[in-house]
Amino acid sequence: MDELSFTGIIFGISQVLLLVSLSPLIVGIMRKTKAKSQKRIGSPIIQPYFDIIKLLRKDEVISEQSSWIFRCTPWINFVTAVSVAFFIPVSLIYSPFGVVGDILLVVGLFGLGKFFTILAGLDVASSFGGLGSSREIMFSALVEPALFITIFVIAIFYGGTNISTIVSSANEISFLAAPGVLFALIAFFIILMAETGKLPFDNQSTHLELTMIHEATILEYSGKSLALIEWSQAIKQIILLTLFVNIFIPWGIADSFSWSQIGFGVLLVIVKIISLGILIAFIEIRIAKWRLFRVVDLIAISIASSMIGVIFFFI
Amino acid sequence: MLESLYLVYAIFGFFSLGAISSLFTRGKKQHVYFAYIPAAIGSFLAIVLSLIVFTSEDIHITLGYQQIFDFEIFIDGVASFFILIIGLVSFAVSIYSLSYSKKFDDKKNNSNLGMLFNLFIISMMLVITSNNVFFFLIFWELMSLTSFFLVIYEHENENNLKSGLTYLVMTHLGTAFILTSFLFMYAQSGSFSFDSFRDIGIIPDYVRDIAFILAFIGFGTKAGIVPLHIWLPKAYASAPSNVSALMSAASLNIAIYGIVRYLFDFNSIDDSSHYLWWGLAIIVIGSISALVGVLYALVERDIKRILAYSSIENVGIIFIGLGLSVVFASFNLTSLSVLAFVASMFHTLNHAIFKGLLFMTAGSIHYSTHTKNIEDLGGLIKKMPWTGLMFLIGTIAIIGLPPLNGFISEWLTLQSLLSVFQIPSTILQVSIAFASLVLALTMGLAAATFVRLFGISFLSKSRTLKAADAIEVPRFMLAGKAILASSCIVLGILHFIGINLIVTAFNLPYTPLSPFEPLSIIGEDGKSFASLMMPTVLIILFSVFVSIFVLVKIMGGKTSIKKYNTWDCGFGSLSERTQYTATSLAEPLSRIFAIFYKPKNEIIRYFYSEQNQYLKKSINVKFSTRNIFEEFYDLLISISLSVLNKIRKIQTGKVNVYILYIVIALLSLLLAAGSGIIG
Repeated sequence: MDELSFTGIIFGISQVLLLVSLSPLIVGIMRKTKAKSQKRIGSPIIQPYFDIIKLLRKDEVISEQSSWIFRCTPWINFVTAVSVAFFIPVSLIYSPFGVVGDILLVVGLFGLGKFFTILAGLDVASSFGGLGSSREIMFSALVEPALFITIFVIAIFYGGTNISTIVSSANEISFLAAPGVLFALIAFFIILMAETGKLPFDNQSTHLELTMIHEATILEYSGKSLALIEWSQAIKQIILLTLFVNIFIPWGIADSFSWSQIGFGVLLVIVKIISLGILIAFIEIRIAKWRLFRVVDLIAISIASSMIGVIFFFI
Repeated sequence: MLESLYLVYAIFGFFSLGAISSLFTRGKKQHVYFAYIPAAIGSFLAIVLSLIVFTSEDIHITLGYQQIFDFEIFIDGVASFFILIIGLVSFAVSIYSLSYSKKFDDKKNNSNLGMLFNLFIISMMLVITSNNVFFFLIFWELMSLTSFFLVIYEHENENNLKSGLTYLVMTHLGTAFILTSFLFMYAQSGSFSFDSFRDIGIIPDYVRDIAFILAFIGFGTKAGIVPLHIWLPKAYASAPSNVSALMSAASLNIAIYGIVRYLFDFNSIDDSSHYLWWGLAIIVIGSISALVGVLYALVERDIKRILAYSSIENVGIIFIGLGLSVVFASFNLTSLSVLAFVASMFHTLNHAIFKGLLFMTAGSIHYSTHTKNIEDLGGLIKKMPWTGLMFLIGTIAIIGLPPLNGFISEWLTLQSLLSVFQIPSTILQVSIAFASLVLALTMGLAAATFVRLFGISFLSKSRTLKAADAIEVPRFMLAGKAILASSCIVLGILHFIGINLIVTAFNLPYTPLSPFEPLSIIGEDGKSFASLMMPTVLIILFSVFVSIFVLVKIMGGKTSIKKYNTWDCGFGSLSERTQYTATSLAEPLSRIFAIFYKPKNEIIRYFYSEQNQYLKKSINVKFSTRNIFEEFYDLLISISLSVLNKIRKIQTGKVNVYILYIVIALLSLLLAAGSGIIG
């Protein structure tokens, strides 16, 4: 499990390719779900793929004020998001690259992408960018403790921050064995909504200065850069969904390296991710965007919930 | 050992040469070379010396013939680790100063700065090498005084004099505590040599406790723990930037050195539960310092004050690691104790490197824009591209993002916090979980602070002409920064270098890592708890980049890039005043932590005439936040001043009143003697 074998590397890379290529599909499914439940027809499920290809072929307009930070942000975002996919188990209980990095590295790499996104928002010298960056700074500073305490709960319950260790112990333990994990689940779900920019945190389908957060930071992007940013957002989303699924509901995941098990595991994990995506879409249409300073309460709930999880473990 | 002794002499010689030749070349144009090149050579030799001590034996020599005034040099692994940090930082800063000190050429005699600079570095090194209470305190005092003169170097500005005074008072307060602590130890051991402190044998627990508390307060003042941090932002902001870099990156570590000596050398921390509360106290103080430091850094507008507050935060993180190490040791969890200790020392090393780098960049900004207020900056990345790149490296490192060195030490600290479940005590586990909550919040806020610092000062449009006219700094200043920036990268990617260095320096029971081995932590059950392999991460990042680059080129085909205005909603050109400012960027967070900042928003309206309040002439908006600690100290000062003023009334200046006092004193003494109270 700790050795990097040739088949392991090939398998790991194909898993990453699977996640990268499926990520726009999840976005499409979530959009379609929202459209259907609002009695709209909506764009086809594979529309995000068309969008990416269309944008990749378009010319770019960039701001005169911007510097190289603005130019390299899409690449850094994409590269970090894809690299994270190497460290997480998808259909097998361990990732062939699991020994290289743990969940703290995952958080760190996502953080690096977000760091550059915030800077890119400030780089273009527009007040929209500053506005988005300011809100993004606020959320990420507050989500950080919630995320770390959730990791804390998961790590002490499952014996490690190594994601392969977490998933394999989670697979052995039955779900309701520990109430602490349930609290971690609540906390992690809130973080998932916050990090992927879902309602009530952020509404990615509008461009209204009152509500937008992530969209405001990337407002100046166009063409190839925009395609990369959109795609890396989709990859980040699918990775967080996979992590959620594999940490909290891992059953059915392949526990040994055999073709039949892995084939079943892949199918099952895709089904799980899609159903979780649909669930999130349903939650999104049920609630409206919250006032900015009320959303902080939700993050506080997440922190409190994970803290309760910690206390449950120790008592 | 003899060769290394000559090396010690050579280091001492070069710094003295630098100090003297700097004075003798007063007024000449080349004096910077006479002052800072010897300093750079001396610092380089110090790095060599520490590397020699790591690989061979300790240096332990007594110079002198009188008992009490023997100068004992003792350089073991611990000392050489700190000498290495100071050597590395002062090497970079010396090279930087070759150009930076030209800033003062037209203002005043530059040679004093060079002399004090050399004295300051050598006194820091001598503090670490001395093995005797007397010499330790003498050099400690020399270090404090030289740094005091450096803080008030620009004494034309009255604020600098004030902050120098605060620094002088606080640092002597700290010295008094350290001295008292040493005296307690002396009373038990009967000798002023540190060797006798080491094998002091069995002493009563309360003496141990008192000596430790006194030493912790004393060294903690120098390190800037909350609430004794009050001098730190003032002094760092007032000193010339090369000196602030030295103070933050080198002299702060001496305080940590003192505490490490006390904890692990003078007291051998063992598995007795007696040391448990020491560890907890250090963790609590560390957490408070980390959070308070970063909260102030977040709303500050002066670059150097932001960096100073961030030093307080980083000292907090270092102390959390140290405290955890003590707590683990008191439960006899040796491997975890080693982990926490390595984390803490790694962070000490990293903090020295990136904070030195950041202070030098702050100096560069001041050098070319003549302002330290980030609200006046903006757009510097186009004017000063290399400085911008190095500032970015320092920023990523201090936030603790991969793949730089800050990530490794924060990863280790977080891992040691995660291992608390091995402590067999529920209350402790839960309270340390709260400490990790504080640490995580601190890290989030630190990221906010530095994103704000970099984003406002380097990106977007220049907010004033000062920033618009900035040019890149001279080559030596870039070289000095480049040394530390490349250390950030090397220590981040090849983390085994740093870890092996600490393991050999402190002689820890841990097998050194080989370069191709992941940094891994094994859990209780033998499963892999966590592992990290930065070189492979880098390979993955790079290969993903190459493949996506090729993919985008193939799929996208040839496209062009056009430069145009930022989108302005069709209202015409955007001005630099429509941008977000540093204050507005941090406003949401200052509102969330309102209980701490008590933000105040004053709006004053001016009208053309008081009768008609519809026509406004102008509106003034003032946004301010409170600093609780400064208010506390102000209150303390005003109370003591009023008490002292009352006491002053007995000093009337009339001779007959004084005679009355003498008579009263005599009578009361006689009465006391008569009734048998005294005598």
